[in-house]
Amino acid sequence: MVYSTELLKGTLKTIVLKLLADNKKMYGYEITQRVKELTQEKIQITEGALYPTLHSLEADGLVTTETEYIGKRVRKYYTLSVAGKTRAKEKVSELASFVQTMTLLLDLKPKAI
Amino acid sequence: MATLTDEQLDYIVADLYAHGIRLEGLRDNLLDHICILVENKLDAGGDFEAAYAAIIPTFYRRELYELEEEALFLASLRGPYVVLSRGWFFVLAFALVLGPWLAYIGQWWFFQRPMGDIRSSFDVIGMACVLDVYPVLTVFVLFLTPNRFDPLIPWGSKILLGFKPLIRVLPQPAASGNTIFP
Repeated sequence: MVYSTELLKGTLKTIVLKLLADNKKMYGYEITQRVKELTQEKIQITEGALYPTLHSLEADGLVTTETEYIGKRVRKYYTLSVAGKTRAKEKVSELASFVQTMTLLLDLKPKAI
Repeated sequence: MATLTDEQLDYIVADLYAHGIRLEGLRDNLLDHICILVENKLDAGGDFEAAYAAIIPTFYRRELYELEEEALFLASLRGPYVVLSRGWFFVLAFALVLGPWLAYIGQWWFFQRPMGDIRSSFDVIGMACVLDVYPVLTVFVLFLTPNRFDPLIPWGSKILLGFKPLIRVLPQPAASGNTIFP
């Protein structure tokens, strides 16, 4: 089962920040593949959602970039800034609290994905 | 592993441009992502045209330009800044810094009649403006702001003054759209 986009809205920044916190530096394609792999393809981040989010994180100063040239093309690696590391912790903690609240609210029993 | 040729890269870049992707940073990201996917398909067997044609529609719901709209929309959500386009900055700097001095010199030259005791102070301020302030401001603006708006280089797109942005180069089209997951 692939989760609906409605469920994923609002969590994308948290997902990206957490991945970057765990993996030092990543590029776009790598992020999409890592999410697929970690969630057993239940969450598939589209390119149309990922890149605007990465740009937004960069604009907010939460990530920094470095580029690598592969022939004529450019690969952009994203790394968390100091502010990004703090924000990643806050966002993960906020989401964990939200999940806990939803679990209580909907009377769910947590189980492994 | 298959590697795309320079001609194929140029084709993709031109196609992205034709589909409305004008932001260089976004184009670089998309190009790399598309290349990886196309190369994976080529490895599995197939030709470039078919692989590219199959991949590109998976990037958007209606138009590829949605991605650029979304990037601009998210960029527009950032906090309230004092925003001045580069062109307006030069107009304002000219009007406030250089204009009065030039007007004074022009008038003095035209009438051959210096304005008495304020002339010396105008000379000093004017020379300071011409020799120091205006060139320094110009150099700052030219080197610290890009030719066009690109949210991928936000820190280069504004001058930081007291750690607050004074100038940001604005996007030409108005940002719109709110598609998060195409």
